[in-house]
Amino acid sequence: MSAGAKRDPRLDQAAMSDEALLDAHERLVGAQPDEKARYRLLPIGILFVFSGLILFAGTYLNRYTAHYSGVVYNENSKGESSQVEAKPDPLAVGRAAFNQVCITCHQATGQGLPGTYPPLDGSEWVNGAPERVIRIVLYGLNGTVHVEGKQFNATAMPTFGQGVTNSAYNWSDDRIAAVLSYVRQSWSNKSAPITADEVAAIHKQVGDHKPMTEADLEAVK
Amino acid sequence: MKSNFAFFIGVFVAVLISWGMLMGANVQLGSLAPYFDETDGTTHPEWMPGIAAQGQLVYRDLGCAACHTQQVRRDGMGPDLARGWGDRQSVARDYIYQPAPQLGNNRIGPDLTNLGDRKPSAPDSDDLLNLLYSGADGMPSYRFLFETRRIGAGAQPSDKALSLVGALRPPQGYEIVPTLEAESLVGYLVNLRTTYTYPEARPYVVPKGQNPEVKPAAAAAAGGAK
Amino acid sequence: MSSTPERTGVDAASRWPLLLLLASAVSWLVVAGVLSLLAALQLREPAFMAGCPVLTYGHTAAIAETAFVYGWLANAGLALGLWVLGRLSGEPLRAQNWALAGCAFWNIGVTMAIVGIAAGDTTGFELLQLPGYVQPLMLFSYGAVAVSGILAWSGRLRRTPFVSHWYAAAALFTLPWVLSVAHVMLFRAPARGVMQEVVAAWFEQSAWWIWIAPLALSAAYYVVPKVTGKALYAYDYALVGFLSVLIVGGLTAGRHLVGGPFPAWLDSVAVVSGCLLFGHAIIVLLNLRLAFTGRGIALKFIAFGLLCYALLVIVDAATSFTGVAGQAGLTFLHEAQKQLALYGAATALFYGAIYYAVPRITGRAWLSGLLVRAHLFLAILGIVALVACLVLAACAQGRGLAQASVPFSQITASTRPWLAGACAAQAILLLANFLLAVNFFGTACELSKIAPKAEFADAAGSAAS
Repeated sequence: MSAGAKRDPRLDQAAMSDEALLDAHERLVGAQPDEKARYRLLPIGILFVFSGLILFAGTYLNRYTAHYSGVVYNENSKGESSQVEAKPDPLAVGRAAFNQVCITCHQATGQGLPGTYPPLDGSEWVNGAPERVIRIVLYGLNGTVHVEGKQFNATAMPTFGQGVTNSAYNWSDDRIAAVLSYVRQSWSNKSAPITADEVAAIHKQVGDHKPMTEADLEAVK
Repeated sequence: MKSNFAFFIGVFVAVLISWGMLMGANVQLGSLAPYFDETDGTTHPEWMPGIAAQGQLVYRDLGCAACHTQQVRRDGMGPDLARGWGDRQSVARDYIYQPAPQLGNNRIGPDLTNLGDRKPSAPDSDDLLNLLYSGADGMPSYRFLFETRRIGAGAQPSDKALSLVGALRPPQGYEIVPTLEAESLVGYLVNLRTTYTYPEARPYVVPKGQNPEVKPAAAAAAGGAK
Repeated sequence: MSSTPERTGVDAASRWPLLLLLASAVSWLVVAGVLSLLAALQLREPAFMAGCPVLTYGHTAAIAETAFVYGWLANAGLALGLWVLGRLSGEPLRAQNWALAGCAFWNIGVTMAIVGIAAGDTTGFELLQLPGYVQPLMLFSYGAVAVSGILAWSGRLRRTPFVSHWYAAAALFTLPWVLSVAHVMLFRAPARGVMQEVVAAWFEQSAWWIWIAPLALSAAYYVVPKVTGKALYAYDYALVGFLSVLIVGGLTAGRHLVGGPFPAWLDSVAVVSGCLLFGHAIIVLLNLRLAFTGRGIALKFIAFGLLCYALLVIVDAATSFTGVAGQAGLTFLHEAQKQLALYGAATALFYGAIYYAVPRITGRAWLSGLLVRAHLFLAILGIVALVACLVLAACAQGRGLAQASVPFSQITASTRPWLAGACAAQAILLLANFLLAVNFFGTACELSKIAPKAEFADAAGSAAS
């Protein structure tokens, strides 16, 4: 190939035959020892680059994959437990349950209906001992009851507890506790919330029971 | 590597590795079930009504995903929440009942994930039909989704006729009526909403006591030295 | 057999499938150029052809992409793959009728796909816009063409393979595997919800890294030592480079899934894979570094293609990080990266190899040196302009999107000048490709006494290491 001649753009010349190409490269990967035993910087360089990349890869995967969880969407999170909350807010659960069921009788204002449905706002039963109000919701309430000095005859509060005979709603202890906590902190009520454990304890202690009467509740200490 | 068989197996195993990643993702995403809400006893997401499911196919066929995305990104990753495109980031569960999710990858036009739930007011069917007919800045008009037809002598204009103003109004005695494609498309768009906040969709906050930015001693020293 | 004349009997005997594949490729390239110009015009001016239901922007963009990838890149890649495998095998291609039939049916499939998309059967998946009913036809046509290549690879006279063997043979296997998995998971037994997007992203990345890129690299790895006359530097690492892209290529799928409704680990795996590809890019560039100092049209195109390839690896890795994707994601940058890969890297490498190969296949030098030089200039100008304009459009768009108070009409207005630039770039590329087509058909059609018979210099018997 004459160095001075202008290259013809219409034809790139080959400088090596296919045989020679294959020969040369076969030699390069062959097992022949390198006679001149030159020290080559390249293998070290590539080794460093790849080691560095693999180190980065391992560290990054360890930290930013949240253990390959299928429900974590932010790679900064360390795992499911730190991201996904198991329990929803009790007050929200309580409010939703109240608005779905209790509101029909006890009304949105918690005032109930005079003579028919007892009020919850300011009621001594609601704000009193947890053991009594828990029983009311778990087992229901029948018969005459006196609330804030007024009398309510022939009450028929449904049964809400799970596993109780004739239970209309089968609410879990969590939900009952949530509703009670909500009611005890609504309107003018300012009583302490009730935990699911308290409800569960009473549920376990009393077991199955027919709907409570006023007398039953007053017997509870 | 002289052996052809060894080479073939090598290539196959290499492709199998990324295929394995795909299968892992499939196990996680393919098994996503609807979420049952304890508080109000409902499951989310909800099925799209029939016309909306048809509308998604029209959306796909017209290629709307070329300009519109349907994925809300989390706070800090773009302007999505600030622009009112959603209350929270989109998660996989939002799409499990969609036959052909059209996530898109270029925001030439706005994101449409919660078009049916935009605040303060979501566009209604008429707004969207008018927009499709007239086009907007950067959005072509889709006149072929509509029919211009004559109102018969003594007949009333159709309920579905578009009410247009100015130069777009049809000539006297004619009305512009959406075709079934336009109606399904709009039916799909007004039903786009992903309002329920699943547990996994809640934003991630750095747990207390693990703030990587402020070192307590340094902060106290800075506060005290003032 | 230490000194063989440069146009071997292999080329003469194998020319029909190769010419058909190259002719299809170049024709599709011009068709794709027209469609891409149309799409760019519609993007700049949405009212352009808005009344035509067949050519909405969504359809046009999908058709242009299909014609470019499955029309031009696939045919050119197969042509060069078969040519390299045939030459290195030392024998004429076998099963040539299979290759001819396969090519014909592949082109029929691409045409059906385009008609189908225009009729509204687009799939909505990037790089897989082919309607579902066309895909089995594509699969079998590809297999038919691949048979010829596989036979050339497995029946090679010299047992020790060359790096081009690995890349080309791998590409002949991987597309059917990857396409059939995507076909089943998206069309036969569709995956649930967003899993479809994950499959589509995996297909897109696999199609690029383990199908198109290997075909381009196989051609480049062959042409560079042939033209320079020197063996590849650091050749002992070529195997590592090959394996790294094969294993890691599909794992970069999460690059398209950053910030979306997907588990976070998909993107983290993509970040890591994108960075691992730095190693691959370094090895490829080291091996082929003589392309940058060589002379001749082929090496110029290959050098440009390698630069784009390296830039692509860097940009892809960078945009996988959530910090970057938050600012730059879901903008025109996505399109810019696609064009950098498909046009800048793959197409430029194919151009270089085609300029080297066609004289050997036809036995004639290219018809016109002026057209060759014009194509070189216009193609490089067009590619650089296209990618640059899309990147600038992405910057304008990203800036506008980032502030919640900026209305979309303003964002559109800010991108218009850059989209006009992209239209101009597409027009330049269309002209360049048209010139290539004229040159190619003039050469290949043996319009005798027009294309000069090639004077091949006798290649040197042994190469300097």
